[in-house]
Amino acid sequence: MQDKHEAHRSYGLQTAGSRGIAGTKRYAMVIDLRKCIGCRSCMVACKAEFGIPLGVWRTWVKEGDKGSYPNTRRIFMPRLCNHCDYPVCVRNCPTQATFKHKDGFVLQRYNRCIGCRTCMVACPYNARHLIPAKRTDKNLPTMVVDKCTFCIHRVKKGLVPSCVQACVGGARIFGDMNDPNSEVSKLASKETLTVLKPELGTSPSVSYIGGDWELMDEPHSYTNRSTQLKDEFNDFKRNHKGDAFGDIVEGEPTMPQVIANMNGFLHTIPHKAKGVFDSFVNFFFK
Amino acid sequence: MEESVITYNVFHHVAWGTSISVYFWLVGVSTGSFIISSLGWVFGIERYKSIALTASITAVVILLLVPSLLIWDLGQPLRFLYLLLPSYWHATGPMSWGSTFIFFYSIAIIVYSYFVIVNNPFWAKMIGIISVVLAILLELYTGVVMQLNPGRFLNNTALTPFLFLTGAFISGIGVLILVLWIQNMLVAIKVEWTLIEEMAKYMMFGLVFDLFLLFLDFMQTLYGDHGQVIGHEVVLMGVFRFPYLWLEIIIGLLIPFFILVSPLKKFKAGILLAALLVAVGVYGMRVWWVMGGQYLQTFY
Ligand code: SF4
Ligand code: SF4
Repeated sequence: MQDKHEAHRSYGLQTAGSRGIAGTKRYAMVIDLRKCIGCRSCMVACKAEFGIPLGVWRTWVKEGDKGSYPNTRRIFMPRLCNHCDYPVCVRNCPTQATFKHKDGFVLQRYNRCIGCRTCMVACPYNARHLIPAKRTDKNLPTMVVDKCTFCIHRVKKGLVPSCVQACVGGARIFGDMNDPNSEVSKLASKETLTVLKPELGTSPSVSYIGGDWELMDEPHSYTNRSTQLKDEFNDFKRNHKGDAFGDIVEGEPTMPQVIANMNGFLHTIPHKAKGVFDSFVNFFFK
Repeated sequence: MEESVITYNVFHHVAWGTSISVYFWLVGVSTGSFIISSLGWVFGIERYKSIALTASITAVVILLLVPSLLIWDLGQPLRFLYLLLPSYWHATGPMSWGSTFIFFYSIAIIVYSYFVIVNNPFWAKMIGIISVVLAILLELYTGVVMQLNPGRFLNNTALTPFLFLTGAFISGIGVLILVLWIQNMLVAIKVEWTLIEEMAKYMMFGLVFDLFLLFLDFMQTLYGDHGQVIGHEVVLMGVFRFPYLWLEIIIGLLIPFFILVSPLKKFKAGILLAALLVAVGVYGMRVWWVMGGQYLQTFY
């Protein structure tokens, strides 16, 4: 149901939230975690659908263990862009490269994106990534920000998103939340749905049935990492060079890393300068 | 309490790194230095007219470094032009405002410096007023662009713009004192040391205010929501302890404060050391504020 306060909430220059508003669509995904088996078919399907490069993801499945031996359980939580009704990424983008479609999709215009990563800083859910400079298909965009599109190209043809199609457990359910006959609204009326970080007022369109607090809470995700995950993440940061990211490895002196980070940034300049030069050549001489 | 452990997640980056923290520092120094420059020509304090040109040239030179950092930091450097195109401009994006402020501020302080050089008090004052407003807005924006990220527990506080503004003021004075000292050694036009002592006094007031703001922020993180409390523990007192506790608070604020309230302030070396420490300390703040603020979320 529409919240009476939300009906009047405007969102800067952007399309107003459409949840519960008659005559509009509000595409949403419900993820039934009781059915998720952690097979990661959705991750593979998404990668295949869009040719997503190594090291970045539009959707992924977070995993944990809970309980004490012998009463333990493995828990999963698929993650993706929440296609927020009030998206911070859209609000903060300086060039309107990311925008909200009237049916609820939050989309990206690669030709407008300058790669400033403001939206990555703004998104509370890590749902965005910078496409790496090297990509197998040279015709696809690089060094701009990318994110989940809720497979709008499929949805407009009456299909469900690729991850939903591939989900072997039937855990991902997709549909129009404003349509009382859709599967998602039926689930919403009979199950308890939770969303990530509801206190931020983003009004996510991805909700979970049976969400575990351990996976949904951000500080907890940090304090309760396994040693292996911590080591792997530190290795990832240590080995990562360039692109001006500000990754700092835990347990190592901070300032030398800040300097090394600057060094990495300076090393990216010749490559970027070559790109600028090539653009000029293409523009004026080809 | 049930035990639980997170065993798998994909890896995320801190989206803004050192280049952005250096950029925030440089913009702060430029605006801080410019505000001192305006004291003579805009606010009518005659004795500051003698340093107005040095201060505004310092502001210009430091600002010249900024575009190279900002533009090369973009994934698509040539597209920085989009930030200035009306059809792309986005009123709800703090960075749209920031790029507009930077653009007009750079032009304004160059024009102001010209009128100071040709000794035209009317236009120096008029352009100076515009430049001061732009300088303040520009510095506030650097704070706002970090503040308006509700998911960043440590940045999302209304204190952010004021911390940035105060940091800019004190680091600007700090760098300016060092520049004036070098000018006194190299050039025939000398600046009276009493003026520098007076600037150091302003810097000390700024230090006290900055410490007060940091104390408020400390209380907020110490007793705030879950994210702020964990952020305080693992970011401020953990991974970013050096830039936060040592570089900013101890080296950048407390030591200069004690120098400036002790008899050491009577020695040139004392004031110069305090100026240097403040300028370096404010960089510590930029580091933990930019990179530290995003740190926790990378594990989410
Ligand atoms: S999850 Fe992040 S990227 Fe997706 S709409 Fe919300 S704020 Fe934007
Ligand atoms: S990286 Fe692109 S989409 Fe993101 S804020 Fe910058 S211009 Fe907008």
